[in-house]
Amino acid sequence: MDILITFFAETLGMSGVWPLSFAYATCIGSLLGFVTVYAMFAIWMERKVAAHIQQRLGPMEVGGWHGWAQSPADALKLLFKEDIIPDGANKWLFWIAPAVVFCGVFAGFIAIPFAAGVQIVDINLGVFFIIAIASIEVVGVIMAGWASNSKYSLFGAVREAAQVVSYELPSATALLAPILVVGSFKLSDFNAYQAEHGWVLFANPFMWIALLCFFIASLAGCKRAPFDLPEAESELVSGFHTEYSGMRFSFFGLEEYVSMFVVSAITATLFLGGYTLPFNLLDVGNLPAPFHLIGVAVLVVKIFAVIFVQMWLRWTLPRMRVDQVMSLGYKYLLPWGLFAVAGTAIWQVWMEG
Amino acid sequence: MGSVREYFSSIANGLGSAAKGMGVTLRHFTSEPHITVQYPRETKPIPPTYRGMHILEQDKCIDCGLCAKACPVDCIEIEAEHHGRVLEWTKFSIDYKKCIFCEFCIPPCPVDCIHMTTEFELATESPDDMVEDMLTWTGLRPQDQAKLEGKTKPKAPAAKPAAGGGGDDLRSRVAAMMAKKKAEKED
Repeated sequence: MDILITFFAETLGMSGVWPLSFAYATCIGSLLGFVTVYAMFAIWMERKVAAHIQQRLGPMEVGGWHGWAQSPADALKLLFKEDIIPDGANKWLFWIAPAVVFCGVFAGFIAIPFAAGVQIVDINLGVFFIIAIASIEVVGVIMAGWASNSKYSLFGAVREAAQVVSYELPSATALLAPILVVGSFKLSDFNAYQAEHGWVLFANPFMWIALLCFFIASLAGCKRAPFDLPEAESELVSGFHTEYSGMRFSFFGLEEYVSMFVVSAITATLFLGGYTLPFNLLDVGNLPAPFHLIGVAVLVVKIFAVIFVQMWLRWTLPRMRVDQVMSLGYKYLLPWGLFAVAGTAIWQVWMEG
Repeated sequence: MGSVREYFSSIANGLGSAAKGMGVTLRHFTSEPHITVQYPRETKPIPPTYRGMHILEQDKCIDCGLCAKACPVDCIEIEAEHHGRVLEWTKFSIDYKKCIFCEFCIPPCPVDCIHMTTEFELATESPDDMVEDMLTWTGLRPQDQAKLEGKTKPKAPAAKPAAGGGGDDLRSRVAAMMAKKKAEKED
């Protein structure tokens, strides 16, 4: 970010608000490009993982090598499809809902530290900023479900609304444990701490509970199986986006994969060492300018490992019932998250002095 | 106390079964071979008794119509004019819109001239194309003509019909006929 501002200000000789505006525009533009490419890759990967778990091959035709062009082809198809707004729908809400959903999740990218200096804004409350801004997505889902004028959509939205509290609470609680270890909400501090002390996951045994709780809660946050109740295609057609078509529909698909990326980035940064290498083999944080991009590669590898586990779990477990999700959230994840926080607090005072 | 034990055992159960399930899916993901076939490029072996598209050995056929009578859905239509034992063919068609591939048309044939091949790619672009013409020729062939003319003479067995590959085995005939049908389809 600073590099970009100085580039626009000094190299191109801009002044006033322009360097900052251009720097933000560049960041957001490149992130949008990255997100699109990533989402296409993730959808292709999801189909491949699903296929191979079911001993199929998945897409094999489009583009030659293992159907790599299947997702771009699908995106192109969705672009050209008719955008249908159902009769009796609240047009404005129906129109704005996919944008709200996507923007809410996309805003989380602002705070993700991809590598030293490769971060748009290093917010002091970075962890909770991402969780909070990603929750806006729920508003969009409820808007989409309500505005569609369809009972299935409304059911999906109501389920999402019922589900949101039961997973937001445990996920935020579980995240308090690594925050206690590092002593900061700032995401860059997590990387600095882990470069020095090793992964937060190994800081104390309670971290494993916290990671498990957060991982399960984040699955629910992404509306992924076994918590895909708002979509539940066997019960609700496809839940809140039943009535959507064309590009608006694809935004919901994009949102799911982008939110997977964001929660995996939180998991990787908070528990799995962020962009630092294991045992700090190479001090990625303090490398000269072009080489700190190695950190981006390290983080992306970790993120994709977490995403793979999410996909793996999705194709393993069947969907839960609504009451099962509630009892999992309130009776299991929340107490165990609190247990992990309390245990970490005691550990920090007792063992670390 | 019972409910406490239940609580913890349900956690152990849930985590254990999820881990076990993930083990199963991982085994399928990594080691089990895929079971799908990349169809247009590779096919599974088709059993020789497969009931696919029909093939007619026209020079054997005597236009008795038993196959058409046996057909439960009336999809076979035969038309030929008899000049004694020489046939002037106009039609032998099978409507694959109706055909149920029951193979009932095969056993009644007294001269064993209709068979089923393993050809199963019968998709067409229009329903009209689904009425397949089984004939290799229509009307009278030169040798039939010769036979007819020879009939006026007192005793003329005439030369054995040679055209149409008469005398070679059925297998190669089926292959030739299927190749012909394929070539027609690609036109």
